[in-house]
Amino acid sequence: MAMTVELPALEGTDAIARPVPSGRLRRLARPALGLLLPVGFALAWEIIVWLGLSNGRLVPPPTKLFATIVELARSGELVRHIMATLTRVVAGFGLGVISGTVLGAISGYWGLARRLFDPTVQALRAIPSIAWVPLFILWLGIFETSKIALIAVGVFFPVYLGVMGAILSVDRKIVEVGRTFRLSGPAMIRRILLPAVLPAYVVALRVGLGLGWMFVVAAEFMGASEGLGYLLIDGQQLGKPAQILAAIVIFAILGKTTDWLIEIGSAPLLRWQDAFGRQGGAI
Amino acid sequence: MLVLDAIGKIYPNGVNALERFSAEIRLGEIVAIIGGSGCGKSTLLRAIGGLDRATSGTVTLDDIEISAPHAKIGIIFQEPRLLPWLSVADNIGFGLSELPANIRREKVASALARVGLADKANAWPRELSGGQAQRVAIARALVPQPEVLLLDEPFSALDAFTRRDLQDHLLDLWADTRPTLVLVTHDVDEAVVLADRVLVMRPRPGRLFDEIKINLARPRDRNSPLFGNFKRRVLTALDRSLDRNVPDAEAKSNAGEAMWW
Repeated sequence: MAMTVELPALEGTDAIARPVPSGRLRRLARPALGLLLPVGFALAWEIIVWLGLSNGRLVPPPTKLFATIVELARSGELVRHIMATLTRVVAGFGLGVISGTVLGAISGYWGLARRLFDPTVQALRAIPSIAWVPLFILWLGIFETSKIALIAVGVFFPVYLGVMGAILSVDRKIVEVGRTFRLSGPAMIRRILLPAVLPAYVVALRVGLGLGWMFVVAAEFMGASEGLGYLLIDGQQLGKPAQILAAIVIFAILGKTTDWLIEIGSAPLLRWQDAFGRQGGAI
Repeated sequence: MLVLDAIGKIYPNGVNALERFSAEIRLGEIVAIIGGSGCGKSTLLRAIGGLDRATSGTVTLDDIEISAPHAKIGIIFQEPRLLPWLSVADNIGFGLSELPANIRREKVASALARVGLADKANAWPRELSGGQAQRVAIARALVPQPEVLLLDEPFSALDAFTRRDLQDHLLDLWADTRPTLVLVTHDVDEAVVLADRVLVMRPRPGRLFDEIKINLARPRDRNSPLFGNFKRRVLTALDRSLDRNVPDAEAKSNAGEAMWW
């Protein structure tokens, strides 16, 4: 895994000496800097257990963790659990995004609808989503439907709020430019509103996705026979901390990967943005 | 001909922003509207452009009543208001979406060259300086060839040097197709260098106070004594417009004229 990456952070000192570091060095050094901390901790723990300073029973060393993952993968179990979880997240996220986008857009664009829907939606938002679980189980059964519904509810709120807020905060001055060129309603939406809300929408999707991953765990805790959440519960009940940690690591990888997919998928549409972070932020 | 007939505007909060403003503006004429803050000059411009409706009176352009933005009227605001997600070229072509792509591209290219930004066609608006961005805004408004171009303090956010540069540039572009220009400004120098006629407004409620014709050939030398005379006349009218002791009826600044001629 990432263990094989050497630490090119030291080369950074080279870069400081030269006024303009080469682009390639920078591209390599930047992600490597982020790996420094986790890889460092993993190595340190491995060494501590290897030296016998800890028995590593409750916190297994990285090699043990890795072995557990390989073992799960070899038996085909891992793929089955990942697919179960991924399917639930995709379905729940999809439903949450569609409903959040549609209702958020209506509330943002149309004042009457906002006054009609928004108070109710805000009141529902105040309910911790997990509180719906017993009701969802009663209504939708203990199988997939109730799990997907819970995830969709979790994803819905940030997307709804993000879309509505983004539409409400579109610069009036830019809308006026559309008016001076006599854009029709649909043209105004397509040529002014959509591009203007896109950056905030992408953020809302990413927040929604994060909540989707959070709620899939909650959903799988409430009785599942497969999925990464099931691996967590199973690991706890059978006293297998390595399995728990393996599931956590895979959650992290999947969460980061799906988030990254949204990021690179939207990047070509957001090239125009003059964001602080885009220039690397304060160095 | 652009005819403003007794335009009045009372805002919902009861503020009487504009009262019975009338003027006739010939095709190709450059008119500057100047006045102290709160004199309703921007309100007037927005009513002419059809962005806000006047509460009384009418705006007609070639006998067509204007109550909403019109194809023959272009507007330039104080800020460039470029769409940040479109390239410079696409911003300029924004109002040409009904034309076939090849004609649009040609018009945009020639407009870009005309404002001296041919090398910025593919740049993002954020990569432009303030002056360059305002040039793009001017090009965007002019490219559909409006009959009337309204400018709401278009250069007030720029530094003095860029401002002069763009004033000269605007006159240059104006000479191409000679649209009517109606310019709101608080800069006396700008009014005198650009306008055929300066309308001085008076605040609370906003209304027309005085009208000064600038009979100077173009290009105008900002340092000539004659230019200075016109500037003083406009300044005097402005001062009088803010003096509560001067009644509206005594506005017509023949007095001013007598002073300086």
